[in-house]
Amino acid sequence: MNIDVVLKSFNEIFCDVLDDEDIVLTKTTNANDIEDWDSLSHIQLVLAIEKQFDIRFTALEIEEYSNVGEMCEGVLNKKS
Amino acid sequence: MIMHEGDVFEGNYVADNMTYESFIKAFNDRNPLHTSLEFAKSKGFDKIVLHGNILNGFLSNFIGEILPIKDVMIISQSIDFHNPFHLNDEIYLKAKLVNLSNAVKTAEFKFVFRNQHSFKLAKGTIIIKLIE
Repeated sequence: MNIDVVLKSFNEIFCDVLDDEDIVLTKTTNANDIEDWDSLSHIQLVLAIEKQFDIRFTALEIEEYSNVGEMCEGVLNKKS
Repeated sequence: MIMHEGDVFEGNYVADNMTYESFIKAFNDRNPLHTSLEFAKSKGFDKIVLHGNILNGFLSNFIGEILPIKDVMIISQSIDFHNPFHLNDEIYLKAKLVNLSNAVKTAEFKFVFRNQHSFKLAKGTIIIKLIE
């Protein structure tokens, strides 16, 4: 698994959770770039990502991720 | 943390006349399926069918009163209805904590409602946010 695979999976999760098939994530995408990425959907996204990759984040990790790419790296680190 | 993944919580309710009347008074749903025995029988039911969303009221009781913590709020809830229930049915709720997320401080429960005959009335999922 590499970051592009994780990013593609993230994209599917974001489209599903935010109910928007037009979302195209890049590594630099953050909550300011997606209108529906609010505090509630953020929770739903994190839960969906944890479930998809069978991992657990810590609260500190989630707080420190500043964009999608960093979160993808976080997934890769946990799966390696 | 008081709760742990795998914990099971239970609630026992009765869909009594007060609950039924209060629901109708509060939400003004007088669909004949819920208020006319003749209509209910014409649709194949032996008795008046109570509003499925009464079960959501019981879920509110579960979250607000049965859980051992009070600093919570519901952020997501889904329910599938499997069988009707009727006036004075005894209703048993079983809810299992299936995911406790430290990352976003949430608890996810899978729940099922059964009646006094152990028929499944409804099942679903609730996610609550643990308020800090």
